[in-house]
Amino acid sequence: MSAPESAAFVTVRDLKKTFDVSKPWLERMIERAPKQFLKAVDGVTFDIKKGETFALVGESGSGKSTVARMVVGLLPVTGGEVMVDGVSMTTTVDSAQREKLRRRIQMIFQDPYASLNPRWRVQDIIAEPIRAFNLLSSQKDIADRVGELLTLVGLSPLDGVKFPHQFSGGQRQRVAIARALASNAEFIVCDEPTSALDVSVQAQILNLMRDLQDKMGLTYLFISHNLAVVRHMASSIGVMYLGRLTEVSQAKEMFRAPRHPYTRMLLDAVPDLGMSGRARVPVQGEIPSPINPPSGCTFHPRCPLVMDRCRAEAPLPINGVACHAVEEGRMGAMTARKSA
Amino acid sequence: MAATDAPKPTLRQRLNDSDLWLAFKDSPIAVAAAITTVLIFVLAFFAPVFAPQDAFNPAALNLMDGFTHPMERGAGSSMLFVLGSDAQGRDMLSALFYGTRVSLIVGLCSVGFSMVLGISLGLIAGYVGGRVEQLIMRIADIQLSFPGLLIALLIFGVARGLIPPNKHETTALFVIIIAIGLAHWAQYARTVRASAMVERNKDYVQAARLIGIKGLPIMAKHILPNVMGPVLVIATINLALAVIEEATLSFFGVGMPVTQPSLGTLIRFGQQYLMSGEWWILLFPALTIVILGLAINLLGDWLRDAMNPKLR
Amino acid sequence: MTQPVLSVRNLKVEFVTRRGTLRAIDDVSFDIAPGEVLGVVGESGAGKSLTGTAIIGLIDPPGRIAGGEILLQGKRIDNLDKESLRRIRGKRIGMIFQDPLTSLNPLFKISEQLVETIQTHSDMDAGQARQRAIDLLTEVGIPAPEKRIDGYPHEFSGGMRQRVVIALALAAEPELIIADEPTTALDVSVQAQIITLLKKLCRERGTAVMLVTHDMGVIAETADRVAVMYAGRIAEIGPVREVVQHARHPYAKGLMGAIPTLKATASRLVQIPGSMPRLTAIPRGCAFNPRCSEVFARCHVERPDTIKVGKSQVACWLYDTKKEAAA
Repeated sequence: MSAPESAAFVTVRDLKKTFDVSKPWLERMIERAPKQFLKAVDGVTFDIKKGETFALVGESGSGKSTVARMVVGLLPVTGGEVMVDGVSMTTTVDSAQREKLRRRIQMIFQDPYASLNPRWRVQDIIAEPIRAFNLLSSQKDIADRVGELLTLVGLSPLDGVKFPHQFSGGQRQRVAIARALASNAEFIVCDEPTSALDVSVQAQILNLMRDLQDKMGLTYLFISHNLAVVRHMASSIGVMYLGRLTEVSQAKEMFRAPRHPYTRMLLDAVPDLGMSGRARVPVQGEIPSPINPPSGCTFHPRCPLVMDRCRAEAPLPINGVACHAVEEGRMGAMTARKSA
Repeated sequence: MAATDAPKPTLRQRLNDSDLWLAFKDSPIAVAAAITTVLIFVLAFFAPVFAPQDAFNPAALNLMDGFTHPMERGAGSSMLFVLGSDAQGRDMLSALFYGTRVSLIVGLCSVGFSMVLGISLGLIAGYVGGRVEQLIMRIADIQLSFPGLLIALLIFGVARGLIPPNKHETTALFVIIIAIGLAHWAQYARTVRASAMVERNKDYVQAARLIGIKGLPIMAKHILPNVMGPVLVIATINLALAVIEEATLSFFGVGMPVTQPSLGTLIRFGQQYLMSGEWWILLFPALTIVILGLAINLLGDWLRDAMNPKLR
Repeated sequence: MTQPVLSVRNLKVEFVTRRGTLRAIDDVSFDIAPGEVLGVVGESGAGKSLTGTAIIGLIDPPGRIAGGEILLQGKRIDNLDKESLRRIRGKRIGMIFQDPLTSLNPLFKISEQLVETIQTHSDMDAGQARQRAIDLLTEVGIPAPEKRIDGYPHEFSGGMRQRVVIALALAAEPELIIADEPTTALDVSVQAQIITLLKKLCRERGTAVMLVTHDMGVIAETADRVAVMYAGRIAEIGPVREVVQHARHPYAKGLMGAIPTLKATASRLVQIPGSMPRLTAIPRGCAFNPRCSEVFARCHVERPDTIKVGKSQVACWLYDTKKEAAA
């Protein structure tokens, strides 16, 4: 019996997305080629508690951005379910309910140069959700609210009349954050929000996001490929590889004692600013094409702990880790990380 | 942490500061072309003010003035005909003003019509995609393989058949505008479709979808402003083309009626008299078309180069 | 004291635009010794890529070198004509750019590109050049090079392509390699491989490397010395350990503090208020003064000299001991 406060705010169950990447019909007929499918997301399950940040980490082809877009409703799901505050995003047919839900979920995108309409003034960009959801009606109220939001993200209300190109990348991301907050959203999906920004600007934006979370009780799903950034933002982390979750843990635990070999590999690959001279586990190979993934555990061609079972059977997540070696207790074979 | 505290720049300051204006000032050709174009526009649209004679009003003409040489006085009315007069005593200078006005109206309206049609279809094709896009693009492809003039002739012929003869003269202007307009929409559709396809994948469109904005408002409010750039360049160049096409159609006799002669009609008149020595009836309208076409084309060329970010 | 492979003295690069002349690089000086890896670090707009481009003479108008000298093995190369510069590029200075997709010509096989480079800068015939190409591919870690050498760039993955680009850069045995963000477009796990490879190969050959990047982590692992650039100037330059762990210039300090690391740290990252000034609005005196937490009067007026502090050089009035001594 779980107390209501610890019930998950966002629930993702067995989320799947398959893209049809077959060649055009005519070519297929001529070449007698079969249809080709890309399993971008293959059964992803996780929970996010209210007011917390869950990070989804992975390299290219891992499917993390696809998961983000499905959670937010921009991409239709091929299978599985997404529930926010008890209401299903994926199966709810009642459009009034979906509308209500839509207002509470927003997204911040990666590219600050493409996420704001270059021909709109900033005040209109931020006011758009307010107008779309009919949150305020009088022009003056809307203008005041836009000014409030701009101040909240560290800009000046006078900046509203400007166009996006008059701002720097970091400032544009602030505008994007203001827009996400304009609908009074409670759950914000952030798709690599700082990857395109300089380091010092990234620090400003990450700090801002944390401050807003503390102030307003926001829940974040934070997508990133940068483990160090995730360290500063997330309370729980899920690591994705080729469409599947390899490990889900509390952040502190994951950094202290990573379990899955891929997680360990990722951590080792993060360049060491502290130059503690830690020993490195040899990193092998590159990410295979998602159209023809390896059999069994998709990580097996690169895994230092690979055995026959790994080639044949895809591991199921046990205690948040999907790895045969972990299940069988073979972890010691990898070189231990010197703790930082 | 405020972005800037500088006072909001005035429109004039913003214009003065913009790259486009600076590029314009630097290019003598663009400036010359612009001045010429503006001059011609003003003279044409304010023809009643500038023209010495009301060239379209048969009552104002004096047959005795016919075939007056340039810079001479007419035999009948003793008016000074700066550029000479035609067979009916029409002052060529005034005829040029009025005729250019007709040509420009046809040019501007037909370009406007193609733009509206082409941009709408292009937006729909680019944003909606799928079968709709295929359909629109195939029609556009087919149309582009025919010369614009032939299509205009075809449409004109069809209109002639459909409209009762007594209405031909009054509707001639509309028919020509629609004919030339329909001949050229495909270019706009193609460009806009390509731009729309790029824009629809951008995050700001996804952000709009996220708050529940549907297709039509997204196309109109979000995508349209961002695809207009190349359209303006095409429009400028097409304007010159439209003027020339109208002149060609009128020259063939299928364009504007003789009571409202455009530049092309005037050339048709003049052609008859070329061999008998009244060269001015042909020459001045022809020169006007050339100058107008050249000025607009140069302006369009410059605009395209100035707006190409890679060349800046 | 061995002669440095590359010596940049008081380099100035300007852009002449309709709005006036913008100085993108303003009096930058540094040396690179043989076999040394110098990291050039900075944020967007600092001028680090431009420095690399200036050295190899590939600045397009309206940009131009407006002052200073660039010396390769003691001889000036900034004042050479186009043809001589072209010969130096590739033979004595190798280049690695960020995007392996555009560094390799997609229409030509890898073998053709490698052999062409090798033959341009040596006297080998086609057969020898091909063998050398295969040897190079083996060195950079391409499996089954004899087969893969006849492939096209799109048949290789991102990491493999970057290895080929490294092979191309090393093909003529250059004395200096300029690498501009060589790992930014790659996945994290591949980045580590490429960095290790580059380091190993250059160490073996004694090639000097100028590594331009915004990624401090890459610098920390690879470079011997690092120069931190800001608004077209060098803020601090010194041994990597010193600059990374004990940065002195307030900007460098702020930068190091802003970088998120895997260590358990305080909840807030150090943040430097504001952003780098645009080229049209570089402040008088020290370019960093509007954002500096330790600014004082002199900073607004005089541009700081480069002052020796420990083994580093810092462009900051805070370290001006002469004044203190005089006071």
